[in-house]
Amino acid sequence: MTATPALLEVEEVGTPAPAGGPPTSTRRILTTITKDKGALACVLFIVIVVLMAVAAPLITKLSGWGPYQFDSAAINSDLGGVPHGSLGGISGNHWFGVEPQNGRDLFARIVYGARVSITISLSATLLTGVLGVVLGMLAGFYRGWVDTVISRLMDFLMAFPALIFMIAILSSLPAGNRPVLLVVVISAFGWPYLARVIRGQTMTLANREFVEAARASGAKDVQVVFREILPNLRGSIIVMTTLAIPGYIGTEAGLSFLGVGVSPPTASWGQMISSSVSWYSVDPMFFVIPGTFLFLTVLSLTVLGDKIRSVVDQGEAA
Amino acid sequence: MTRYVIGRLGGVVVILLAVCLFTYLIFFKLSPDPAVMICGKTCTPERIDSIRDVLGLNQPILTQFWEFLQGIFAGRDYGSVHCSAPCLGYSFQTNESVWSMITARLPVSITVAVGAAVLWLLAGVIGGLISAIKQGTWWDRTAMALALGGVSVPNYVLALVLQFVLVVKLQVLPFPSAPAFADNPLLWFESYIMPWTVLAVGYACLYARLTRANVIDTLQENYFRTARAKGLSRSLVLRRHALRPALTPITTIFGMDFAGLLGGALITETVFGLNGIGKMAADSIAKNDQPVIMAVTLLAAFFVVIGNVVVDLVYTTLDPRVRVTSS
Amino acid sequence: MKKSTMLVGLAASAALALSACSGNATGSSQASAGPGGPAADGGTVQVLANAAFSHLDPARGFDGGVNNFYRLIYRTLTTQGAAPGAEGTKIVPDLATTTGTPSDGGKTWTFTLKDKLFFETGAPITSADVKWGVSRAWDPELGIGSPYAKQIIAAPASYQGPYKSGDLSTIETPDAKTIVFHLKKPYADFGSVVAQNTFVPVPKGQGAGNSLDSKPIASGPYKISEYKPGATLKLVRNDKWDKSSDAVRAAKPDGFQWTFGLDPATIDERMIAGQGTDADAIAGTVQAATVARIQTPQLKQRTMSGLGGCTTYMGLNTTKKPLNDLKVRQAIEYAVNKQTVRDAVGGSTLADIATSIQPPTVAGRVDYDLYPSTDHKGDLDKARALLTEAGYQGGFTLTLDSRTQPKMQAMAVAIQQALEPLKITVKINPIDTSTYYEVIGTPSQQKDMAITGWCPDWPSGATFLPPLFDGRNITAKGNSNLSQLNDKGVNAKIDEIANLTDVTAANKAYGELDKQIMALAPVVPLLYEKVLMLVGSNIAGAYLHDGFSGGIDLVSVGLADAGK
Repeated sequence: MTATPALLEVEEVGTPAPAGGPPTSTRRILTTITKDKGALACVLFIVIVVLMAVAAPLITKLSGWGPYQFDSAAINSDLGGVPHGSLGGISGNHWFGVEPQNGRDLFARIVYGARVSITISLSATLLTGVLGVVLGMLAGFYRGWVDTVISRLMDFLMAFPALIFMIAILSSLPAGNRPVLLVVVISAFGWPYLARVIRGQTMTLANREFVEAARASGAKDVQVVFREILPNLRGSIIVMTTLAIPGYIGTEAGLSFLGVGVSPPTASWGQMISSSVSWYSVDPMFFVIPGTFLFLTVLSLTVLGDKIRSVVDQGEAA
Repeated sequence: MTRYVIGRLGGVVVILLAVCLFTYLIFFKLSPDPAVMICGKTCTPERIDSIRDVLGLNQPILTQFWEFLQGIFAGRDYGSVHCSAPCLGYSFQTNESVWSMITARLPVSITVAVGAAVLWLLAGVIGGLISAIKQGTWWDRTAMALALGGVSVPNYVLALVLQFVLVVKLQVLPFPSAPAFADNPLLWFESYIMPWTVLAVGYACLYARLTRANVIDTLQENYFRTARAKGLSRSLVLRRHALRPALTPITTIFGMDFAGLLGGALITETVFGLNGIGKMAADSIAKNDQPVIMAVTLLAAFFVVIGNVVVDLVYTTLDPRVRVTSS
Repeated sequence: MKKSTMLVGLAASAALALSACSGNATGSSQASAGPGGPAADGGTVQVLANAAFSHLDPARGFDGGVNNFYRLIYRTLTTQGAAPGAEGTKIVPDLATTTGTPSDGGKTWTFTLKDKLFFETGAPITSADVKWGVSRAWDPELGIGSPYAKQIIAAPASYQGPYKSGDLSTIETPDAKTIVFHLKKPYADFGSVVAQNTFVPVPKGQGAGNSLDSKPIASGPYKISEYKPGATLKLVRNDKWDKSSDAVRAAKPDGFQWTFGLDPATIDERMIAGQGTDADAIAGTVQAATVARIQTPQLKQRTMSGLGGCTTYMGLNTTKKPLNDLKVRQAIEYAVNKQTVRDAVGGSTLADIATSIQPPTVAGRVDYDLYPSTDHKGDLDKARALLTEAGYQGGFTLTLDSRTQPKMQAMAVAIQQALEPLKITVKINPIDTSTYYEVIGTPSQQKDMAITGWCPDWPSGATFLPPLFDGRNITAKGNSNLSQLNDKGVNAKIDEIANLTDVTAANKAYGELDKQIMALAPVVPLLYEKVLMLVGSNIAGAYLHDGFSGGIDLVSVGLADAGK
């Protein structure tokens, strides 16, 4: 499920198209969140992760170990390379312990891994967002053959077993620029889920009085789409993209787990979890640490997305 | 109605053909020459050529594709070997007929999918219903918080945790091995319970949230209030009037999710070492075994597309409003 | 000429382990005997494996994983001994009465078949069947396994195997018991060649297409009773096999059962637990993570360890700048920290550090180290000095081809780290495992460096150094001379040794050639990987066979107590 953003977005199917009330203001979302302790904790955690990602080189300077640096003294070569000491070698020297077999600092790798997760998921969200909104609006606004072409394309992409196909493509592509490839492949299969919703809502909006009024007063198609329709889609777009981010973080980690993600020595949480598989009974911390970070990040973003959704829904119901 | 079904099935064929062609082109472009891979370590250009001939790789891509399609419906010949319909070719790695590989592994994937579906439907729908009825109580809040957590656990993480705790540490379950039910029903159940659970958790949490939201929406609809106002008991109204409209959208989503799983639960099957379609997909990808990759892609797409049609048909019979518009 | 991809396959399929009796054994005698104790008759040995067999057709399969297995169902004219150590790598007669009689100065070889040889069908094995089996090696679709028959036996250039081209006149069968091979040129060690998989008899006229891959025709002590590719393989006794005709195979158990596709970590867990039929199980080399867990006396007792017989090395492409400079290559020899490379594969229990090209299991090999450093951790000062002499003190960038497989990636990263202080930036170029050898074997596609391995096909220098370093063997595709070394001195020496008729003298000369090549620094020998296996408590008769990359010899392994 990590690889199907569809799962998170699927709930949209059940909710009726918005009644077209006033667009939800960003301020109202913010006030609601600051009043909710759970949501605040999530925001806090996300801020920490983002900070880690942004300031990674600085942070690892403080902690003393880079993400690629070996520390042979921290592992026991005679016992398969298991870290010295309990809890996977956690010490003042290595805050989160070390990776078995080479002694790389787990703290540094978590911090750098956050970079990969954040960059890839944000880029993929941006790309799916643009593709999904533009194509969804085009289909919904123009109907006719434009709609037919785009809808068939969406049917076609959604019929693909995305995970199988992503792995197959990624493993046969030459190495190239892995992160870019990941973003492109993830987005290629992700945008129809957003576009489908946008298309439906655009269709409803296009028939509303204010749109017809704008048209009657001589506005061009482009103006109508961007000035009248797009602002009314803002709620849905915000909700769907916030919920897409954790989905893509999971997808990236999943692909790395399956060995087709970023290439070594780049650190990635999914790839750390993947290498910890054989170590979990000897060195559980090697699994627990990246596993916890991945889980908490996805959870925080999901909770937050959910909160934003309920605010938006209420706004629209009002 | 019949016309509608025929129309939809026509669409299915078109989409499947498109998926097929696209997959074929992509792998034709991306993959290394299969003849070189088959030829092995000590290979001469003449041998590569004769292998290419047998596999038909020297023909134009569209001819090859046409032959592939012919194979599926009418069978085809590879050199001296005849492959009868439905022919999906032979594995480059093991020379096994891809069709027999699929039929051998499909039962495992179906067992995994059906078991998980039963689990998540029961847990998700019942949990969601209770939450909706007890909306706002501690039960509701806890259940919904847990559901968010459940959605957020990557399934391979959950699989590893379960296996570590239940099999390695507590030793209450054996390592999953996919035995036949008839041979040893207990071992069968013990082998599948972890994969089922791992797959079901994420879906169950989503379904619980969805059911809850739908039921709450329905409770606020006018007809529901009217029924209550007429003096019918709450539980009767819930059963008669709320459940059906609330669960109709679930059917749609369930159909799609279930169809998706039939094409193989790649991660779960891989982590637990179950020899289903998903694991076959992972293995074939790792070995660049094109005929098998083609076949699993096609199979999974087939399930999704068919699932789509079935869902729409079921939906029209369940929801009177849709029935009116479609006729 | 097998590359050590095989190592991976082997770990999975040919591994074997023994088990210690798990507490509830009722006074059976094996409790203290361990894996090496005498095996009883009967029972079924379980094999837990990750990777499935590549091929059951002996003309196709050719790797550490299947070579060992083939001896259970197939026989060849000669075969390797069935014993630990050097005895195991000695060639002994199998179907043939002797290891062959040369004539015409070693250009013609004659073998005579023993009596009482039968296929599983009950049909007698004749020299025509052996010939039919060998000639299949020329079939372009089938002959993808051992290349030696094609390389050494004379044949018309257009010959394409018995199904397409009919009879091969260069192999004669004057009567049902005699077979005569005519070679392209004299070959002193032809007795070893006929132990290759391609010399398995196939009933004349049969075995076309894929038939043997799904339904082999057994000549050995077992036959296949059920095969689900990728899932399970069951062997039962071949009752047409006559024990008196076979001095090599003990064949104690009544059957074998393979389970494929198991996760390596799961295999280790099952072997440690050793419950139920897992007590009768063997498996491949344990994961690095498992090493720390098998240190208890009970588990140590059912652990077996030995060298795999292969060398893992890094090829330096001598045609690329600046690796064309000997000093640069020598600097890299000095700089590589072999300790961290070893840790990457699991530390000292899973590998020894390599300093020479040939591994210790090869006859005539000499132990030496031309580029020494303290604890093999690399000598950066020497390396820097050499780079300065060569004018590269400012650093440069190299690309390292690496398989997308965790262990190989880990080694690549260790190399990357080791060269960093010299300002050498190593870019890792991950290549999918399925295409790795194709890419690095194509000189136009290979990059500066590549990590790979080599296992001899039989433990002599003849199948190690010439294929890797003969400069005249560099081919546009399927090249195994990764460093593309083409040195007159080396080439001349290779020819000189090839003309030696005494195999022992030749092996000794290869030992010296090894040193001569290392002075040119075309490869960095990294590791001699070891096998470390945990076997079930009821396993007996097990030893590691040097000829099968250190796998447990399947023809000798059995159960201590067959009744359990």
